[in-house]
Amino acid sequence: MNTNLERMQGVTRRTFLGRFGAGIGAAALGVLLRQEGYAAAPVENALRGGLPHFAPRAKNVIYIHLAGSPPQQDLFDFKPKLKEYDGKPCPDDMLEKERFAFIKGHPNILASPYSFKQYGNDGTWVSELLPHFSTITDDVCVVRSMHTEQFNHAPAQLFLYTGSPRLGRPSMGSWILYGLGSENRDLPGFVVLVSGNKTPDAGKSVWGTGFLPTVYQGVQCRTEGDPVLYVSDPPGMSRELRRDSLDTLRALNEIQYDAAGDPETLTRISQYELAFRMQLSVPEAMDISREPQHVLDAYGVTPGKPAFANNCLLARRLVEQGVRFVQLFDWGWDTHGTSPGDDIITQLPAKCKIMDQPVAALVKDLKQRGLLDETLVVWSGEFGRTAMNEARNGSKFLGRDHHPHCFSIWMAGGGVKRGAVIGETDDFGYRVTKDPVHIHDLQATVLHLLGLDHERLTFRFQGRDFRLTDVHGKVMPQIMA
Amino acid sequence: MYIRIALSVFLGAALGAWTDESVSFNRDIRPILANNCFKCHGFDAEARQAGLRLDTFEGATATAKDGKQPIVPSNPDASEVMARITSTDPDKKMPPPETGKKLSPAEIEKTRAWIAAGAVYEEHWAFKKPARPELSQVADRQWPINGIDYFILHRLEQEGLKPSPPADKSTLLRRVYLDLIGLPPTPQEVEAFLNDTSTVAYERVVQRLLDSPQFGERWARPWLDIARYADTKGYEADRRRVIWQYRDWVIRALNADMPFGQFTREQLAGDLLPNATRDQIIATAFHRNTMTNDEGGTDNEEFRNAAVIDRVNTTAEVWLGLTMACAQCHTHKYDPITQTEFYQFYAFFNQTADNDEYPIENPVIPTPDSEQEATLKALDTQMDLAQRRMETMLPELQPQRAAWEEAIAKQENGVLTLGPWQAAGPFPAATFDEAFTKAFPPEAKIDLTAEIEGGLRWVEHAEWQDGVINILEGDVCATYLYRVITSPLEQPVKLSFGSNDSIKAWLNGSEIVSHHLGRGAEPDQEVVTVTLKQGDNTLLLKIANAGGGHQFYFKVNATGHPADIVAIIKTPLTQRLPAQQQVLDTYYTSIAPELGPMRAEKLRVQAEKDVLLAQIPTIPVLQELPPDKQRETHRHIRGSFLNPGEVVAPGTPASLHPMQPEFPPNRLGLAQWLTDVDNPLTARVAVNRFWEQFFGTGIVSTPQDFGTQGELPTHPELLDWLATEFMAKEWSMKELCRLIVTSAAYRQSSKVTPELQERDPNNVLLARGPRFRLSAETLRDQLLASSGLLSQKMYGPSVMPYQPDGIWMIVYSDDKWETSIGDDRYRRGVYTFWRRTSPYPSMTTFDAPSREFCTVRRDRTNTPLQALVTLNDPVSIEAAQGLARRCLTEAGASSAERIHFAFRAVLARDPQPDESAQLEQLCQQTMARYQQDTGAATDMATNPRGPLPAGMDAAEAATWTVVCNVILNLDETVTKI
Repeated sequence: MNTNLERMQGVTRRTFLGRFGAGIGAAALGVLLRQEGYAAAPVENALRGGLPHFAPRAKNVIYIHLAGSPPQQDLFDFKPKLKEYDGKPCPDDMLEKERFAFIKGHPNILASPYSFKQYGNDGTWVSELLPHFSTITDDVCVVRSMHTEQFNHAPAQLFLYTGSPRLGRPSMGSWILYGLGSENRDLPGFVVLVSGNKTPDAGKSVWGTGFLPTVYQGVQCRTEGDPVLYVSDPPGMSRELRRDSLDTLRALNEIQYDAAGDPETLTRISQYELAFRMQLSVPEAMDISREPQHVLDAYGVTPGKPAFANNCLLARRLVEQGVRFVQLFDWGWDTHGTSPGDDIITQLPAKCKIMDQPVAALVKDLKQRGLLDETLVVWSGEFGRTAMNEARNGSKFLGRDHHPHCFSIWMAGGGVKRGAVIGETDDFGYRVTKDPVHIHDLQATVLHLLGLDHERLTFRFQGRDFRLTDVHGKVMPQIMA
Repeated sequence: MYIRIALSVFLGAALGAWTDESVSFNRDIRPILANNCFKCHGFDAEARQAGLRLDTFEGATATAKDGKQPIVPSNPDASEVMARITSTDPDKKMPPPETGKKLSPAEIEKTRAWIAAGAVYEEHWAFKKPARPELSQVADRQWPINGIDYFILHRLEQEGLKPSPPADKSTLLRRVYLDLIGLPPTPQEVEAFLNDTSTVAYERVVQRLLDSPQFGERWARPWLDIARYADTKGYEADRRRVIWQYRDWVIRALNADMPFGQFTREQLAGDLLPNATRDQIIATAFHRNTMTNDEGGTDNEEFRNAAVIDRVNTTAEVWLGLTMACAQCHTHKYDPITQTEFYQFYAFFNQTADNDEYPIENPVIPTPDSEQEATLKALDTQMDLAQRRMETMLPELQPQRAAWEEAIAKQENGVLTLGPWQAAGPFPAATFDEAFTKAFPPEAKIDLTAEIEGGLRWVEHAEWQDGVINILEGDVCATYLYRVITSPLEQPVKLSFGSNDSIKAWLNGSEIVSHHLGRGAEPDQEVVTVTLKQGDNTLLLKIANAGGGHQFYFKVNATGHPADIVAIIKTPLTQRLPAQQQVLDTYYTSIAPELGPMRAEKLRVQAEKDVLLAQIPTIPVLQELPPDKQRETHRHIRGSFLNPGEVVAPGTPASLHPMQPEFPPNRLGLAQWLTDVDNPLTARVAVNRFWEQFFGTGIVSTPQDFGTQGELPTHPELLDWLATEFMAKEWSMKELCRLIVTSAAYRQSSKVTPELQERDPNNVLLARGPRFRLSAETLRDQLLASSGLLSQKMYGPSVMPYQPDGIWMIVYSDDKWETSIGDDRYRRGVYTFWRRTSPYPSMTTFDAPSREFCTVRRDRTNTPLQALVTLNDPVSIEAAQGLARRCLTEAGASSAERIHFAFRAVLARDPQPDESAQLEQLCQQTMARYQQDTGAATDMATNPRGPLPAGMDAAEAATWTVVCNVILNLDETVTKI
C-alpha cells in the first residue's frame, strides 16, 4: 500500500508538470503541489517568481456581500446636513451628467430617519440600526470613500468580483485560490454561501473561474439538502459499502494503470479518495449543530435553516479549517422604496436586524480564537445609494436609487487598520471628497494583504495577460495597519 | 528530484517545436520578440516607445534616434539589441527589469545566432496561404494508411520513436463510436464487429457511423459551444429564449454533411442569400445567441453594441483563429490588426435590425412544424381563392371604383390645412399619475388669447414639424398641444402619435387616445383612424411627463390610404404599369364596400391563420436594415460606444488576403471572404478544431489563437495538408472525420509506456493513440445508453432532466426548473436546457462552459466533485440501476456472465480475470450486506428508477446496482482510450 502510494505520488508530480508545462501556469502548479503536501518553492522559483509575492498579512478571506447594496447614509456615513434639505429638491449640480436606474425628473433629498452616535476609540459614527456593530468598531476599518463605475446590480457585482462589468473573467476568490491554493485537502478552497433565497444578480459568474481552469471555481455550499451537490451517498448505500465499492474501484483502476500507464488514472484515483473524505468532512464542517449553545446564541442561529446567521458561523468554521476564501451573499438590500418590502423604513431595519448580530459575533468570535489576525473580513454591497428619495411612479415609500459615486464598506482583521475610518464624502454622502478608493484599489489591497501583487498575478488568455485589476488599481496603504 | 522535474518540463516544451537545427524566425525568434519586446516596440504605433519597432526588418535595422542601430544583420556585436538584452545596467537593460520579463541565456543565444545568420524576418506562418505539401518521406513504408500518417511518422522517425501497435478491435470500436456518434457500441454491435473478419470491417463501421443521425447530435456539441447556444438570454434575469430551432438546424446540417463553406455562409448571412429559405434564415440565429439584457434602467444601445462586439470576436475566433478582442480598445499589441480595422470588421455586423429588445427579441421568424406548415399552406390557398373571387368581381364594380379613384385623385397635396401648433404648459404636477389624470384648464376650455393660470399662455410653435420628434419643456408635468385641421370634405384619416411619456388626445372634443405609461417618444406609438368633418376640426393633445425627457411626435395621413396607393391612383390609367394596377386591384378589394361579405370570408381565414401563427414558435434571426435605415459605424475611442471617433466602412484586415471586389460589402461578402480559397486561416482553424476533438489537443494547441501569441503547430505540414485536403474535398466535414479516424495514427493503441511518458507526456508527437476524459454530454449519453435508458428522440425544445432542488434561485424571476416527464428525462445531453447563469450542475462539474461567450476549447479537469457526480448523482444511480436490471435479465445467471455483459455494454470489451475477481468479491460482500437489510436493498435497487420488474430480487438488484456503479465510475469508462 505504501509503495503504491509513493508510486502514485511520484508519477503524479510529474503529471502535474507535464500538464502545466503545456500552459496552465506556475501559480497553479504551486497550488496543486501544495495540496499534495509538497513544499514546492524551489520549483516555482525555477519557473517564475515565487508565490506569495511577499509576506502575507492574511491567510484567508471572508467576504460578506449585501446584494442589492445597503444605503451608506443610513448606516455609516452620517450626514446631518441632509436634514436641512429633507424633502426639498436636490441641488441641480447633483443631476448634472447623471444617469439613474429609476429616478426620473428632479428628485427630493431624503435625510436618514435614523440617529447616529460615535463609538470606540476613533469615534466611528454608527447608525442606531447597527447596535451590535457599534461594539466592534475598534477592530474595524470603515471605508466611506468607495466608488465604482457601474450602477446596475449585475455589472456592478461583476465589476467588484472580476474587475470587469462583463461576464467571462475569473472572480476574486478564483484568482486567490489560483495564486495561493488551499490549506485543506478535504474541503473546497473557495466556498460560497448564499442566503435571502436568491443567488446574486450576476448569477454564479461572481464566483466563476472565467478563463482560469475550473478547479478554481467557488463551490456553492448549501444549507439545505446536500451541502455540496451529490456529497451524500445514494439511499441504501452505507459508508462501509461505499468504502468497499471504492476499494474495488481503486483496485480496478490500478489494474488499468498497470496496463495502460496513464498518470491521469492515478490522479483520478486520488480524486475519488478526496471525494470520499469530502463526504465526511464537508457535512461535518457544515454541521453547525456541533457548536456549543453559547456560540449559537452569540450568532443567533437556528441550525438546519438556511439563514445569513448560519452562514456567518459556517464562515468561521470553514476558515478555521483552512478554506482560503469564503464568500457570503445575502439578498434583500435593494431598498428602492416601491413598497414596504424594499423601503428604508420597514425592510432596511429588518435586514439590519438579521445581519447585525451575526456579523458582529463573527468578528468577535474570530478575534477570540486568534483567527482575526490571519483572516480578512470584508463587508460591502456592490455600489451605494442616492441621497435622494427615488419615488418611483410617485411611490409614497421611502427608498434610494442605485448610486456609483460613493459608498461605505468595512474591513477587519488580517493586516487591516483597527478602529479607523478612511475617506470622506460631501454633505450629501453623494461624492467622495477625500481618499477615494476605487473597486480596483480594493481588489489590489485585498490581494496585497494576502501577499499577492495584483500586477503580477496574471493569466494569459486570448493573447493577453489578464489580472483581477484589469490595467488599473493601486494598493491603499491607509487601509493597512 | 527537482532537477529531474525541471528537465522533463524542458523536454516537453522542446517537443512542441520543429526539430531542424538552424534558427528559424517564426519558430524561435518571433516568440521571443513577441513575449518580450512587441508590447512597446511592435505593431501598435501609439504604444511604441522611442519610435522603435522590432516587428519588421525595416524597423529593426533603421538607425534609432540615439544613432545606434538596433539590429545589424550578420553582426550581433554591433547590434544595440544584443547590448541591451545582455546589459547589467538596470537603466539600459531590456526588457526593463520592472516588467518582470527576462530573456533566458538560451533565448539570448538564439537571438545572437539569428542576427549572425542575417536577421531574416518571415511573415507569420498562419498569414501565409497553406501550400499543398508533399507527403513526408518515411522509412517504414508499411505503417502509413493515409496522408496523415506520413507526417506523423516522419516526425516520429526524426525523434527516434516508433508508433504504437494498433489498438485492439474492441478498444478501437468504442473509440470510434464515442468520437463519431458520442455513444458506446451496443453489445450486439461489438459482437458483430469482432466476428467481422473482412479487411474493410472497420471502414464499414465508420461509414455506418457517419451516416447515423446521431453523428449530428454528437458534433453539434462543440459547435454549440462555439455558437454560445443557450436557452436563456443571459445577464441579470436571464430569462428564457426560444432558439432550439437553431440547434436542430445545426444537427441537420451536420447530418447532411453541409460543406463547411455553406455552413459558414448560411449562419453568418443566410438572410442575405438570394431567395433565402426559411432554414437559411434560421441558420442566422447563430449570431442571435448573443446575450440580451432585460435589466431595468439599461441602455439598449449599450447592450446592442456589446452583442455586435461579441459577434466580431466570435467570428474572428471561430473562423480566423484570431483574438480580435484586443483591438476593441486599442491597436493589437501583437497581431497586425489596428483598432480601425476592428471597427471595419464591426461595421459588417452593425447593420442588423436587432436592438437588445425584450420581451420579444425582434426580428423573429415563425418556425412551423410540418403539420403546421401544411395547415398554413391550406389557409393561404383559401385566402388566395377568396382574393381571386373578389378580383373576378372587379369588372362589375368598375363605375363605383372609378368614382372612388377620381375622388382620391382630386385630393391634392396639402388638401388638409394644418394650423400651427399651439402649446400650453408645462403644468407642474406632484406625481406622474397626477400629471396624467388631473384635468388642467385646457381640458375645460381653450382660449388661445387669454392667460390660462399663473401667467401661462398659449404659445405658437410654427417651428414644430410633423413626422419628427419635437422637444417639450418641463419635469413632472403636463403639456397641452392644440391645432386646427381644416378638411375640404368629410373623410377618414390616419393620425400617428408618439410621446414621452403618457398621452391623451381629443378630436373635436372627443377622446381618441389615452395611454398612461413611462416611455421615450418614437414614431407611430399610437395610430388611430378617425373621420374628419368638412371644415375646421380641433385636435388637442396632452403629454404627461414622469420627469426627464419630454417629447411628442405627430403625423397625419390625409387620404387614409397608403402613400404608394395614392401615388398609383394619381398616375393616369394609361401610364400605370401592370404590376401597379395589380397592387391597386388588390387594395381595392380590401376596401370596396360591395365586397364586404366576400371579404369577411377572407378575414375569417386570416383570423384562423393568426390563431395558428400565435401557436407557432418563433426564433430570433439576423435581418439587415433597409438601406435608408443603415447605421453609421464609427471607431469607438478606447472601445467605448459613447465616444465615437471617425466613420469607418466595412472592411477586412489589411494583413490578410484582400476581399474580392465582387463580394458585397456586407455580412454575405464577409462570409464569402472567410471561405475564399485564398483565406490562409479558415480551413486551418477548422481542421485543427476537428483534430482536437479526436486527439485531445490541436495541431495548434491554442485553437482560438493562430496569431503570433498562439502556439506554433506541432506538425505544420500536416496542418497544411489537412487544410488543403479539406478544401479539395469540398469542405466536407464528414470526409475530414473519415480521413482522421481511418488513419494509422488514430488507430494506435493509447497505452502509455514509461519511455513515452518520459519523452512526450502530452502525446504531442502521437506515438500513441488518443486518451482523454469524455465530455460532459458524452458522459451523460454513455450512462444512459449503456443502461438502456437513453431516448432516441431527436430535435425539438430543450428538456429538463433531473436536477436537485434549489439550483435555480434567480433575482427578479420566478422561473422554475420543471423536471421533464417520460422519455424527455432520458434525452441526450445536447438537448438539456441551458441556463447561462446556472447551467446544468453535473455538466458544469465536467467543464461545460456557461455559454455566455464563444468557447472554442473546453478545459479538461479532474476533480473530486466529478467523482461525486458519477458516484452519487441520482442520474448516475438510475443508470446503474438500469444497467443492473439489464445484467439480470439479458445476461446469464452467473456473476461472471453478468460482469461480462456489463463490461461489453459499457467498455465494449471482455473483463480480464483479475477484474472479474475484484468485482465478484464486491458482489459477494454486497450481497451479504443486502440480504440482511432488505430496506436498504430496496432503496438501492429502486430509488429513483422505480419498482423492480416482477420476480426480481431486491438484494440481487441492489448488489448489481453497486457493481454497475463501480463499472460506470471506472477511469476507463470516463475516458476515451
